[in-house]
Amino acid sequence: MATTQKLLQFRQPEKSYDVIIIGGGLHGLATAYYLARYHHVKRIAVLERRYIGSGGSGRNTEMVRSNKRAHETLPFYKECLAMWDGLSAELEWNLMVQKKGLIALAHSDPELASMRMQSDSQRRAGIEIAMLSPEEIKKMVPSLDISDRPALPVVGAQYHPEGGTVHHDAALWGYAKAAARHGVDICVGVEVTGINIQGGKVTGVDTNVGHIAAPQVHAAVGGYSSEIGRMIGMNFPVTTFPMQVMTTDVMAPFLDHYVASPRLHFYTQQTLKGDLILGGHLDPWQSWNSYTTWEEASERAFKILEYFPDLAHARIVRTWSGLCDCTLDSAPVMGGVGIDGLSLDVAWGYYGFKSTPGCGKYSAEYIATGQMPEKIKPFALDRFYNRQLVREIIL
Amino acid sequence: MAFLINCPNCGRRNPYEFKFGGECKNAPEQGADMKAWCDYLFFNENKPGFQDEWWYHAMGCGDWLKIRRNIATHEIIEE
Repeated sequence: MATTQKLLQFRQPEKSYDVIIIGGGLHGLATAYYLARYHHVKRIAVLERRYIGSGGSGRNTEMVRSNKRAHETLPFYKECLAMWDGLSAELEWNLMVQKKGLIALAHSDPELASMRMQSDSQRRAGIEIAMLSPEEIKKMVPSLDISDRPALPVVGAQYHPEGGTVHHDAALWGYAKAAARHGVDICVGVEVTGINIQGGKVTGVDTNVGHIAAPQVHAAVGGYSSEIGRMIGMNFPVTTFPMQVMTTDVMAPFLDHYVASPRLHFYTQQTLKGDLILGGHLDPWQSWNSYTTWEEASERAFKILEYFPDLAHARIVRTWSGLCDCTLDSAPVMGGVGIDGLSLDVAWGYYGFKSTPGCGKYSAEYIATGQMPEKIKPFALDRFYNRQLVREIIL
Repeated sequence: MAFLINCPNCGRRNPYEFKFGGECKNAPEQGADMKAWCDYLFFNENKPGFQDEWWYHAMGCGDWLKIRRNIATHEIIEE
């Protein structure tokens, strides 16, 4: 039944807060929620310059998974994936969590070998993973062409049964509503223009609606971390690349799993609505422009038709792109920057969505206790100076 | 295609022929400390607006070239 009740009451910021979170995306709202609910911080503001979820939170491909490689980060990604399970109940909001399984196709023996090696690391970390033969894949995805017809035939796959999808808008509003219920002020249209630092300590932020004082500022700004860097006079270890995503028109259900090809940079899933989401890879050059291109769309169409020839009638009806802040080691930057009271949760590249619950939980813990939680220690900024880069492979 | 790159050897070409090589940065002097090298290697200005950057003409002449491109609008300034 239609309701005229607003889902969420946005607020005007007050003059001072205990914690200010810059960025009203999934990470920022999740951090606010965990801070208010589990660390009992009373006065929290989330400042968003556009609308909530206007950045990467509204521009991702809804994929959740933990099939990364670097052993020091696997416990974190594993926990993030597990946290999605209980979230609908905790936030009292259906996030449409669907652990439908992720099938990553291999097209050559070396690639298969690399996937086996990766699977071993993951299994050691307690992540459920299996290798599949083409025949086994065919049983799960009957529409997939496993013949020799494609230029790069399917020779096997890595199956990650815990991987799947979560509805990104549902997650965003779930966290926003839950945060607001616990007394967080969510302020949209408030753009942070500067961070005030006195004697190496954060004192507040300047915004388009005036100065707001706070002893603790947390930046969860997705693809805009370099702007925060400029406010505090430093460079960040990131380069911004756009990622283009496309959807087709709605069709009858035929695809039960998330199918990806890491080698060819494409992945697809059929949403509950029936359209296919076609994801890809970063654009090949740095850009702050969330444009979409004919080249990417045609590339995506070509690749999916190689493996799903029955889709020749499908049309791409919508495209969008989002900005990804990528570090050289495919790992994010979390924790402090050497300024008292300023913490970061940035540089999440194209794997920020799936990590949302863990980022919120551990960013909140870091803000509340001042101690870097064990699970996010590998993501500290000083790893770039201590020769402790995360040994992640690009996936 | 978002823009064309003017290669000194091959003329104006499709950017998909090139490999993006990142923003131009000044390498530290010889004998610089480790921090300077880490800053040079890993940290970027990454600022919307015009920047000098490296491109490699992989599917063309095989030369490295520098261009000045606005990374927010993809406008290129040719000298």
